[in-house]
Amino acid sequence: MLLAGISLRVTPQLEGFGLGQYAKFAGDAFNWSVLWQTLMLGVKTVALTACIGVPLGLLFIEAPRRLQPLMLFVIVLPLLTSVVVRTFAWMVILGREGLVNNALLALGLIGAPLRLLHTELGLVVALSQIEMPLMLLPLISVMSRLDPNLKDASAALGAGRWRTLFRVTLPLSLPGLLAGCLLVFASSVTAFVSQTIIGGGRMVLMPFYLWQQATTLFNWPFAATIGMVLLVAVLAVVTTLNALGRRSRALVHG
Amino acid sequence: MSSPHITRRTLLAGGSVLAVTTLLPRAAHAAGRVVAPAYPGPWEEAYRAVVLPAVKKTQDVDTVLTPLLSLDQVAKVKASRGTPPLDVFMLDPGPVVIATEDGLIDKFDPSRCKNIVHLQKSFFDEWGVAVAAQIVGIAYNPKKVDRPKGWKDLFEPKYNGKVGISGFGTTFGTSSLIEISKQYGGSMTNVDPAFAQLKKWLPHVAVIAQNPVAVNTLFQQGQMDVTYTNYQTVSTLKGRGVDIEFVKPDTGPIAFYTTLHVVKNAANKDNAYKFIDTVLSTEVQAALQKPPYSLLSVNKNVPLQPDMPQDLVKSHAELASFVHHDWRVIAPLRGAWIERFNKEIRQ
Repeated sequence: MLLAGISLRVTPQLEGFGLGQYAKFAGDAFNWSVLWQTLMLGVKTVALTACIGVPLGLLFIEAPRRLQPLMLFVIVLPLLTSVVVRTFAWMVILGREGLVNNALLALGLIGAPLRLLHTELGLVVALSQIEMPLMLLPLISVMSRLDPNLKDASAALGAGRWRTLFRVTLPLSLPGLLAGCLLVFASSVTAFVSQTIIGGGRMVLMPFYLWQQATTLFNWPFAATIGMVLLVAVLAVVTTLNALGRRSRALVHG
Repeated sequence: MSSPHITRRTLLAGGSVLAVTTLLPRAAHAAGRVVAPAYPGPWEEAYRAVVLPAVKKTQDVDTVLTPLLSLDQVAKVKASRGTPPLDVFMLDPGPVVIATEDGLIDKFDPSRCKNIVHLQKSFFDEWGVAVAAQIVGIAYNPKKVDRPKGWKDLFEPKYNGKVGISGFGTTFGTSSLIEISKQYGGSMTNVDPAFAQLKKWLPHVAVIAQNPVAVNTLFQQGQMDVTYTNYQTVSTLKGRGVDIEFVKPDTGPIAFYTTLHVVKNAANKDNAYKFIDTVLSTEVQAALQKPPYSLLSVNKNVPLQPDMPQDLVKSHAELASFVHHDWRVIAPLRGAWIERFNKEIRQ
């Protein structure tokens, strides 16, 4: 409410009321491209976590019962370390003298170090690892509740393993997948620390933009406006995913 | 899911013990404390090691040191003017202008600092007092690249992919970009030539740092081998064994002063003056100037030699001959430059 209130102020000195700040945001193509890049970062991170998360989830439910607690521990492990530590670890991996570049140089695959840090690709990869538990936990909880008899039934009716996977297991796991996507999206779009440190100065994303307006330029109304726009944009995506989630549950139970 | 062992009574008892223990140290120290900021990194280390023990010893005041950059301090105080979270401001010249215009600073009374007699008149005014001089120039890694001579060298092809830059968000970034602009026909108020130059050369930039702390880490990790920064940052990194050297640009290095101020409505105003007075004292200024802290003294009794390298600066008179920027002119323009930098450097 406070955020919405401040975003309606006309000047940085918090005078007057009006939609001037929103007009300013909408009137500049730069702001739209910042918003677009931020949301696309979320989409790309979700896509990568889903591509890696689904096979990992399947591996988990097929794994022997003894191994499952250990695997769960490994999955949750990133959540137990601070996001700052994980971010700096990625700096060490992606840096010009980092693990990836040194390995590639040693193998003779590249002549000069590649620029991985401070690129969108590097950021998406790092964020995917950082947010992976948020994808895996809901996915696994849904997958492990699937009735094993369904698979037997599918096999008895003549479906192969792949067909069972695509026609039975995956559709039934859809609610978990969507919940995971929702969490990863909301969290990667707003991951200020990782975005600034791994993304670097070349990328201006909404959280950094907001921070800069608030603490460097002291334009609180515009900072509040950026906050509101980001909030609404994320809410819109989340609502859409939720609606899809309800439809997918209807698919399962219907 | 309720646990049978925790009754409401034990919970309340535990809670009140916790509440009392958090209140106790406050009560014990309330008679003499001051909340003062220091820039994160080298400044914070120096103040923690030198100033805090001195303030405790000579004034019997406990200092709560809060690591915050200039603009963050201004933002924090601005957000709660009536009960500011700080008693003292530590600011670079740009933020001083903002804080003064916003009425966040109390008028400075030099007569309340007995050590003020050791300072040149130009080092204090009605709003605050300088506590250290800073020199801005070019830093490079002598193991990896040739020694650059001046601002124009940053754009030499031999440094392609090795130069890291930072924008107008910091004092040294703003000052350096102004000097770069001057080399290509610009001035203190006209940075268009710097933008034109940056834009052309952008694909060859190694990294763009978003804040001063990032500059240090990026240099340490070998992400860049040449950049512009403060002398004192170079000295600190060198002290840690990083391969780094400082170059005075051939067109003259930049000098500016970091100042201390009393925050308006400060809860511990008397202690704020005691804190500032201690920082100005001959002993503290001398200790802060010793490497690796290398905070250039403002106290007449503490000569710059032999703590500073001979080829950097010999005396305060020489320091005065370095390039000085008028921040009262720059501050109103800076916001637009920051926003322009955002747009022009974006991939």
